[in-house]
Amino acid sequence: MRAGDFVALLGPSGCGKTTLLRMMAGLVAPTAGRVVMREHARAAMVFQSPTLMPWSRVAGNVRLPLDLAHATREDADAAVRDALALVGLSAAGEHYPRELSGGMQMRVAIARALAVSPAILLMDEPFAALDEFTRHRLDDDLAALWHARALTVVFVTHSIQEAVYLATRVVVMSASPGRVAADLAIDGPHPRGNGYRGSAQFAAWCARISDVIAPP
Amino acid sequence: MMREHALRIVAPVALAVVLLAAWQMVVTIYDVPPYLVPSPLRVAQAMIEDRALLFASLWVTVQIALTALAIAIVAGVAVALVFAQSRIIEASLLPYAILLQVTPIVAIAPLIIIWVEDTHVALVLCAVVVAIFPIISSTSVGLRSVDPGLADLFRMSRASRWQTLVRLRIPSALPYFFAGLRVASGLALIGAVVAEFVAGTGGQGAGLAYQILMAGIQLNVPRLFAALVLITLAGIVLYTSVGVASHVLLTRWHESEMRPDR
Repeated sequence: MRAGDFVALLGPSGCGKTTLLRMMAGLVAPTAGRVVMREHARAAMVFQSPTLMPWSRVAGNVRLPLDLAHATREDADAAVRDALALVGLSAAGEHYPRELSGGMQMRVAIARALAVSPAILLMDEPFAALDEFTRHRLDDDLAALWHARALTVVFVTHSIQEAVYLATRVVVMSASPGRVAADLAIDGPHPRGNGYRGSAQFAAWCARISDVIAPP
Repeated sequence: MMREHALRIVAPVALAVVLLAAWQMVVTIYDVPPYLVPSPLRVAQAMIEDRALLFASLWVTVQIALTALAIAIVAGVAVALVFAQSRIIEASLLPYAILLQVTPIVAIAPLIIIWVEDTHVALVLCAVVVAIFPIISSTSVGLRSVDPGLADLFRMSRASRWQTLVRLRIPSALPYFFAGLRVASGLALIGAVVAEFVAGTGGQGAGLAYQILMAGIQLNVPRLFAALVLITLAGIVLYTSVGVASHVLLTRWHESEMRPDR
């Protein structure tokens, strides 16, 4: 995987996508083999649910990883401001998480991950619990953010459309035994632009990946 | 919203008025002697006539309960924090905490009163023994009830044990702590009263339990009732204060204290 890649890990429940992501995050140790990362590559993770601290305001939540790493006050203030601006929540810093909608809470979680300027951003089905409208908007925003900030992203999803729409590379995994079924480089323009979801190119990629998952 | 609120106050008060009136009527009509069942008015009269005695005793009992509650909070939270440090410590100590809880205080109180020379200290100790368990158990459950996602986040951020405790586990435990504190506040008062009964100390520092005991022996039933009413009121005030404290601290973020209209 190269810097600047947007890799989607696609597959059914139980194929080990999340486990693979957690190995990359250093949260679980692989039973065999090794996770190789460039020295001190700093990973940040966005979970399936926003996992915000309910007792802390939005700004405090975004600030948490900086505080835990003993960042200076000025650095932390600047990073929190920038991160909230990136996700379009500059005005929401003083709110409590429960005052925000599910989509906005997810944005806060993304801001928290971006605040530490991670070398790699790990996302575990971050938008799966949101409604379709919100999900499409957040997908667009994430794509724009990835493009503008030259992020490196690993994105776990079980939506073929979401994977094709976002990724430069889609890794299809199959369940029992969990293994890589296909590794496809998705071409096409980035950022995708408005018409992409309706384009023949998009439909062709989705069909091809469907065939890999369930051969005709 | 407003009407709902008013209903919660007006309805129980109205019921109390009706029941008290019925009680007064039955006692008056059947001419029940006051040493069996005094009328509400007789109880009120006793409360006013014996106010110096009763309120001094109430203050003694409340002081014991409050001191015990404060000690139970400090010691109970300390024990829960120790439990939270390791499963081995918790596994080895928890059975003894439960032992303390299931042994009736009436059975231990005489021992404590014999062993501890200062009666006041002995009474406080008895109340602590009763009040501490809910604080230990609910706080240690709270310290373990951490959102697993947040726990992962803290691990990924390489948070120290101390950071995880202060910034994640203690805030997560707060609602549980308050739930335990509510139970403990009532138990502290019960513990104080039971211990006073067992100790049976009179004189200057006599608590409400002693007044109830003496009033019973003297068949001064109106005073007995008055003392009972005061203990109950003290318990309600204590419980409500803990509720208010919990509401003020948690209202902005915790579901248990959220207003239903949000």
